[in-house]
Amino acid sequence: MAKEYFYSGCAAAAYGAKAARVEVITSYPIRPYTGIMMELSKLVANGDLDAEFVHGEGEHAQMSVTLGASASGARAYTGTSGVGVAYGMEVYSPTAGGRYPCQCAIADRALDPPGDFGSEHTDVMSARDQGYIMGWAESPQEVFDNTIMFYRIGEDQDVMLPQFCCQDGYFVSHIPGKVPVPEQSQVDEYLPPYNHPHPLDPHRPTLHGPQIFPDQGAAIDIQRAGAHANLPKVIEKCVKEYNEVMGRNYAPMLDEYMTDDAEFVFFLQGGHAKTARYAVNHLRKKGVKAGMVRPRFTRPFPSDEIAERCGKFKAIGTIETSTSYGGAMRGGNLIHEVRASLYDLDKRPAVTSMMAGLGGEVVTLDMFFQYAEVLAKAAKTGQVDQWVYWAGFDIAGWEGARRLQF
Amino acid sequence: MATVKTQNLEMIKSTRNAPKAEMYVPGHRTCAGCGPALAYRLVAKACGPNSIFLGPTGCMYVANTSYLCGPWATPWTHCQITNGGAVASGIEAAYQVLIRKGKWKGELPNIVVFAGDGGAIDIGLQAMSAMMYRGHDALFVEYDNESYANTGIQTSPATPYGANTTFTPPGKAIPEGKVLFPKDAPQLVIGGHPAVHYVATASVAYPVDLMNKVRKALNYQGPTFLHLHCPCPKGWLFDEAKTVEMAKLAIQTGMWVNYEWEKGEYKYQHTPKEYKGVGEYMKHQTRFKHLKPEHISKMQDFINAKLKAPGKPIAVPVAGPRERA
Repeated sequence: MAKEYFYSGCAAAAYGAKAARVEVITSYPIRPYTGIMMELSKLVANGDLDAEFVHGEGEHAQMSVTLGASASGARAYTGTSGVGVAYGMEVYSPTAGGRYPCQCAIADRALDPPGDFGSEHTDVMSARDQGYIMGWAESPQEVFDNTIMFYRIGEDQDVMLPQFCCQDGYFVSHIPGKVPVPEQSQVDEYLPPYNHPHPLDPHRPTLHGPQIFPDQGAAIDIQRAGAHANLPKVIEKCVKEYNEVMGRNYAPMLDEYMTDDAEFVFFLQGGHAKTARYAVNHLRKKGVKAGMVRPRFTRPFPSDEIAERCGKFKAIGTIETSTSYGGAMRGGNLIHEVRASLYDLDKRPAVTSMMAGLGGEVVTLDMFFQYAEVLAKAAKTGQVDQWVYWAGFDIAGWEGARRLQF
Repeated sequence: MATVKTQNLEMIKSTRNAPKAEMYVPGHRTCAGCGPALAYRLVAKACGPNSIFLGPTGCMYVANTSYLCGPWATPWTHCQITNGGAVASGIEAAYQVLIRKGKWKGELPNIVVFAGDGGAIDIGLQAMSAMMYRGHDALFVEYDNESYANTGIQTSPATPYGANTTFTPPGKAIPEGKVLFPKDAPQLVIGGHPAVHYVATASVAYPVDLMNKVRKALNYQGPTFLHLHCPCPKGWLFDEAKTVEMAKLAIQTGMWVNYEWEKGEYKYQHTPKEYKGVGEYMKHQTRFKHLKPEHISKMQDFINAKLKAPGKPIAVPVAGPRERA
């Protein structure tokens, strides 16, 4: 039977990796993800986990070590945060394009400047288009479960893609929560040993990554795209099975809260969803028909599900915890894809966005309430006054904080 | 517990005695007279079939693997020009654990990075150094053709002083072309990696010596480093029939020295009774054609100093670009 532990998000990731029987681990210190590797190094030192622990000389090396290990047929695990995510950038496309299903845990951190330990999603959102599977957990329990689930999804022979298994720095990575840890036999039943169909093996020689000529590019790229096209089905299957074996209740793609009769919803990924749920509870008490939608995956982006299930809302507000300077709508990244996903509907909700949680600031209940006013108005009029709002700076009537005039 | 290699590859007595089996086979499109391709053939032959080759970006990636094909009878993988040492570390770590868990049966494969000078001691230096430091059982080969040749002959830290490259063209303001003196690759490895017990230099001019150094390196448990002198007709601009001749001249003039460093002991090979002047080597290569006698003599001073203790840290009478000559 499952035993319940009290784990931070970092510890949950480490014990998830242990349960997944990772074989090659590679580390480099950077806050806040470091805690994952501190836990794993103890497990290896004490002989509780039989794995090679490689101290990488940087994130670029971490990504390279996991690539090499995964290419050779070993289940490989690493992780990073913030500028570390950026430093590993060169190796993401070779890993995804080479179809090596290793896992990289992410505990988000703002990019420089200025130096900042706080959580912000811009780090790994900057790497979202390389072909990795990518999704945020809301709690340590979901971190643990995603670590195992993501391996199963990524290693599916119709997929074979690496995974960014993401959690918010500090808000999830450093706040302990209850984690029911299943029996090892349950995990083994769910997650079979990693099987690379053509590893680097002297018994059956093969080439990985030879040069092509430009005309051959599309034929190869379409395979990576095809793997992503296969993902929604594989995710549905793997999440359903996980729920059955472990007694969980995860939605495959979209986690919805109080959406049945909602007029508007907050749309956001990751740990701030916890606060959003409380905000919805408070708003409901006042008779405001608010709800929340949380994508469990950002790659693949749940376009079909959004088109299918979010068209009924009158307004959607994306809570942007990442920046997209100069991008469409001038705000964060989520609004681009939410708007695009809704485009083919005859009746489209009004969609606007709120920059919040940047640099690791706490997204407060007050911010959600202020934003709810904006969304309630948009729901009524059917249109938005602004594409983007900066919480604390330009939302009218914001308590005590019209700090900056644009 | 670490899995250790138990192989004892035999030394090769002569070219006739070398293994018949080719592990680097015809079907690539390297240039006529390519030194690195010749080196690759010898290295792969010496390694044999239980090997995995890694190709950081460079000539030996691009010219070898056209149209999704490659000339290896062993597994091979591309890696970035930056990360040969790190990918090798991952492969080695994987084999350690796979063998330990009984998931792969056999002797730990020879894991061989075949990197150019840029992939070894310039952009690839960090990954190589970390692989050496961590003690992975892998052989790192630097095939030195003394430039970023694949991208059109740009200067690298292995390019000799005075060379005309597409990033160091000689001109009125900078008559020498390249003004800097090269890094000493083996010293970078020997100098600071306690897990390394064997480092050697070799030349395509002496194939038996080269193959035996490969085998000696592979018989060691842990990381090893080979620095191979590989003349490049396109980059150095000499007659492509004279690759081996150029390699020999380098040794006769002291521009290259063959040696082994084994657990702290130096052994030298092919030392000429008397060194010829460096001009005898440089005059055959158009990359040095623009040099004036004072430049040649500056090169001679550098080489004379290096030859006092090849492969060892020694002061050379060379002014850096920010000091007075």
